[in-house]
Amino acid sequence: MNITNLKLREMRDLLDKKSISAIELTQEYLNRINKFDDKIQSYITVTEDLAMDSAKKAQEKIDNGNTNPLCGIPISIKDNICTNGIKTTCASKSLENFIPPYNATVVDKLDSQNAVMLGKTNLDEFAIGATTQSSVFAKTKNPFDLSKVPGGSSGGSAASVSASLCAASIASDTGGSLRQPAALCGVTGLKPTYGRVSRHGLVAIASSMDQIGAIAKDAHDCAFILNTIAGFDCNDATSSKAEVIDFTSKIGESIKGLKIAIPKEFYDSNIGINSEVKNSVLAAAEKYKKMGAELVECCLPSLKYAVATYLILSSAEAASNLSRIDGIKYGHRSTRGENFNELIINSRTEGFGDEVKRRILLGNFVLSIEQYDDYYKKALALRQRFITEYADIFEKCDVILTPTTLSTAARTDENISTPFKTYLDNICTVSSDIASLPAISTTCGYDSNGMPIGMSIIGKKFDEATIVQVADAFEKSFNAVSPELI
Amino acid sequence: MSYIPVIGLEIHAELLTQSKIFCSCSAEFGGEQNSRCCPGCSSMPGTLPVLNKTAVKYAIKAGLAMNCEINKFSVFDRKNYFYPDLPKAYQVSQLEFPLCINGYVPIHVDGKEKKIRLNRIHLEEDAGKLIHDDFNAVSLVDLNRGGIPLIEIVTEPDINSAEEAKAFVEQVSLLLQYTGVCSCKMEQGALRCDVNISLMKPEDTEFGTRVEIKNLNSLKSIGRAIEYEIKRQSRMLDNGERIIQETRRFNDNRGETKSMRNKEDAHDYRYFPDPDIPQVNLTDEDLEAIRAELPEMPDKRLERYINEYGLSETDAQIIVNQKLISDFYDETVKNYNNPISVSNFITVELLRRVNLGEVSMDNLPFSAKEFASLIEMADTDKVSKNDAKKILRLMVETGKSPEDIAKENGFLIVNDISKADEIISTVLAENAAVVEQYKNGETKVFGFLMGQCTKKLKGVCTPQVIKETLEAKLK
Amino acid sequence: MKNAKLFNTLNKIAIFYKSEVLKLDLKMISHLSNLSKLSFTDNELEKLSSDMSSIIEIVDIIKEVDIVYNPLSDNKNVNINDLREDVAKESMATEKILMNAINSDNCFVVPKVVE
Repeated sequence: MNITNLKLREMRDLLDKKSISAIELTQEYLNRINKFDDKIQSYITVTEDLAMDSAKKAQEKIDNGNTNPLCGIPISIKDNICTNGIKTTCASKSLENFIPPYNATVVDKLDSQNAVMLGKTNLDEFAIGATTQSSVFAKTKNPFDLSKVPGGSSGGSAASVSASLCAASIASDTGGSLRQPAALCGVTGLKPTYGRVSRHGLVAIASSMDQIGAIAKDAHDCAFILNTIAGFDCNDATSSKAEVIDFTSKIGESIKGLKIAIPKEFYDSNIGINSEVKNSVLAAAEKYKKMGAELVECCLPSLKYAVATYLILSSAEAASNLSRIDGIKYGHRSTRGENFNELIINSRTEGFGDEVKRRILLGNFVLSIEQYDDYYKKALALRQRFITEYADIFEKCDVILTPTTLSTAARTDENISTPFKTYLDNICTVSSDIASLPAISTTCGYDSNGMPIGMSIIGKKFDEATIVQVADAFEKSFNAVSPELI
Repeated sequence: MSYIPVIGLEIHAELLTQSKIFCSCSAEFGGEQNSRCCPGCSSMPGTLPVLNKTAVKYAIKAGLAMNCEINKFSVFDRKNYFYPDLPKAYQVSQLEFPLCINGYVPIHVDGKEKKIRLNRIHLEEDAGKLIHDDFNAVSLVDLNRGGIPLIEIVTEPDINSAEEAKAFVEQVSLLLQYTGVCSCKMEQGALRCDVNISLMKPEDTEFGTRVEIKNLNSLKSIGRAIEYEIKRQSRMLDNGERIIQETRRFNDNRGETKSMRNKEDAHDYRYFPDPDIPQVNLTDEDLEAIRAELPEMPDKRLERYINEYGLSETDAQIIVNQKLISDFYDETVKNYNNPISVSNFITVELLRRVNLGEVSMDNLPFSAKEFASLIEMADTDKVSKNDAKKILRLMVETGKSPEDIAKENGFLIVNDISKADEIISTVLAENAAVVEQYKNGETKVFGFLMGQCTKKLKGVCTPQVIKETLEAKLK
Repeated sequence: MKNAKLFNTLNKIAIFYKSEVLKLDLKMISHLSNLSKLSFTDNELEKLSSDMSSIIEIVDIIKEVDIVYNPLSDNKNVNINDLREDVAKESMATEKILMNAINSDNCFVVPKVVE
């Protein structure tokens, strides 16, 4: 049995029982990365020496009776999360050599438990995108089919988990960036409630929606990780003081009588949902019904405005957040420029990719004084509407079930010239980001080509425990498939 | 042609917090370049602002001191623009929901009182500093100042002359000093002023075209810049030329304003509420607690000094004009309840020492109690008025108590009556002829006899006692 | 009758031209590029104008919605007393602040700024 196929919590067990050593475990992963990542390209930076060092330290702790859940566990981290002394590139030329002098809070938390960081994973440039193909360093492939995309923006993280090149990954979600690649790569991705996990050290795109979460083999593992990374951080004024409970505590509890909302707009052919995807998710709904849950029809009338709302809010915030990238304090600095203005224009133009540029232009458009009321201010109002419509659903239901994506993974050569045509593909995920709700995506089926299909369970604010419980209930009887790697 | 100058001011004041507005770096003035920075205030990716409670409190205090309404729900917005001293390429400021709105500051010019209305006071962050290196054709960026909390005080265009503008800035400075929120040291850039000025004819119904003047580093330059600008605009209008709406820079050496190179077209700052900074809420209790922390403000003190203590307006003004002096005055009066006497001693003697640079009000080597003691000693003739001045100088130099100094230097007037009696008798005996003259009605020789006695009795007793004893003896 | 026919023809022409009119013309794109501190070649600008117009068409759907933003409903109820205490802590070493930048005399360096 290849230990890298095990769940994270099973590894914890073996480590603490001393059946395997932390060093062996890390070495196993480093070997696999060496063997397979040339093809998959999930990592931008592999921190081999550091990982072995951490593994040694972890083993010392284990020898002295470790109680930390993540001690010695090999984890990958999306390369938009700052790691002290280790390049953090956001997959962009503009930050290709940026070395942060500080750790993101989540990294500190992992360090304090002696988790082992294997490296930094690939993403769409600045986490803007849904294919990971806009990265300047690598084009990550879907481990299930190397001619297909892993999704994005956390494609590297999802692929690394899917191909067992790490036990789990810390990634980020803004409009589905964590759940969508998890779904396309056949693994589980948990995006917590906005504010649940500190954003300190996460390179910001949409400040009002960005969240750090976990991608792992299953819901239980995701919750395991959330236990460590959740919590109020005084460095992040938007982080929540909501009590951090054990998010695995409801796992195994019966879901009899649990009310699962099925919002009809998410399944309507109008939004372009693929029939295999739709059927797979509805089949999962039936399974839940057989387990004793109650399916409740409901609606989210504003869903058709979700992508527009998301694009407006996220592009505006991103445009503002990325203004600091000018090559003066850090990052790519052009050699051309007679004055400050020319210099930063050149640095930014040379450093940013096309999609990032488009998003910045869009952001500045919706914020410009003539357009502000019609676009940004209206989107702020629409956000409030989404919050209300979701609250209405949660009056009657405990969780909401939707497809994670409209289709399975696309080919890597699709949509290259007009990537923005795929904006509308995010429709299933964006509204939970807009409304700050927690959501977990887990595999519910495979299409006729064997490509994974994901379903999302959305929960009430701060109710990660219930969505984990519900996802786990399905996973227990679902035979998830691992990709065959050659 | 006679025009009415219409002037509005924007004053930026650095707040005296310990740490910066959005991070815990020290907010102290100065320091080696880039030694008071962190990933946050140097705008590294992934960092977030964490609002400083005291910065908010101080802004509210400033608002209360200037009669503003305080918004109990307040929002911070991003003002987006690119400049080398602004590392995030946006400045956090406040647009729609500033902490303080409306308000007014009364000023006195030419004996008349006028209320200058305020539009708002909001909280924002300062930018870094640029150091220009002409030789190497570069500018150096120091971010120490970046993130220092600022309040921006915006007036309505109620000001109509350079005098009024200066009076306003002085009064604002005084009020801020009293609240303790700003040092107001213009030479350190703690208080900066931009002027917006236009001219109109008395019969005009609309304001003229506004010109903004920046880079005013002292009260004097504010006055000079306004006067120059009034002349410049008047001349142009007289010639039928149109005033261009622009920003001009004041050149201190030449006393002129000059058009700043057109940075670009008018900025579109693309303001939006900062999603990283939750809105700030205040209850009525919170507001009252902050108000209660305010000391008695200068106008109230002035009233009290004139009406209750009977000080002249001039003296009262001198004392009120620096909080340290006023505080010291009040403390002294507490210890020795003779307000007029204390006022005189401060305004004449203490301030003389201060003006000579021997001592500063924020660093007095003696307490108000000791100071009170000295004045009381002088008033009750325990020491002569002249000697009291000397004692003060020695208190400044040595920090010793007035009693100790008086004893050590023999300034104490003992009022030994019997000794006085003895010596006066001797003087009278030595000057028997003059005594005869006095007894024969030549009262003016009393002065001579007083002089002789005073010489011999210096430090032994007070002039009053000498006079009385002498008179008694001459009877 | 004659006027109705003329009207219809003119209307058809107007619709034809409207569909040809880009939502974001070159002038607007140039203006946005300036705000964004990005530069584009003329060819890129043409393509951008078309791409951005398509993107705007996607977001324009919100113009259908008649809704007003109320800032108070975004209130997270953070009270002034919940804010950070004003305590100065040690700053980061200057070398670390500057380590990712071209620097001189402990400062970041930019081309000379004329004020």
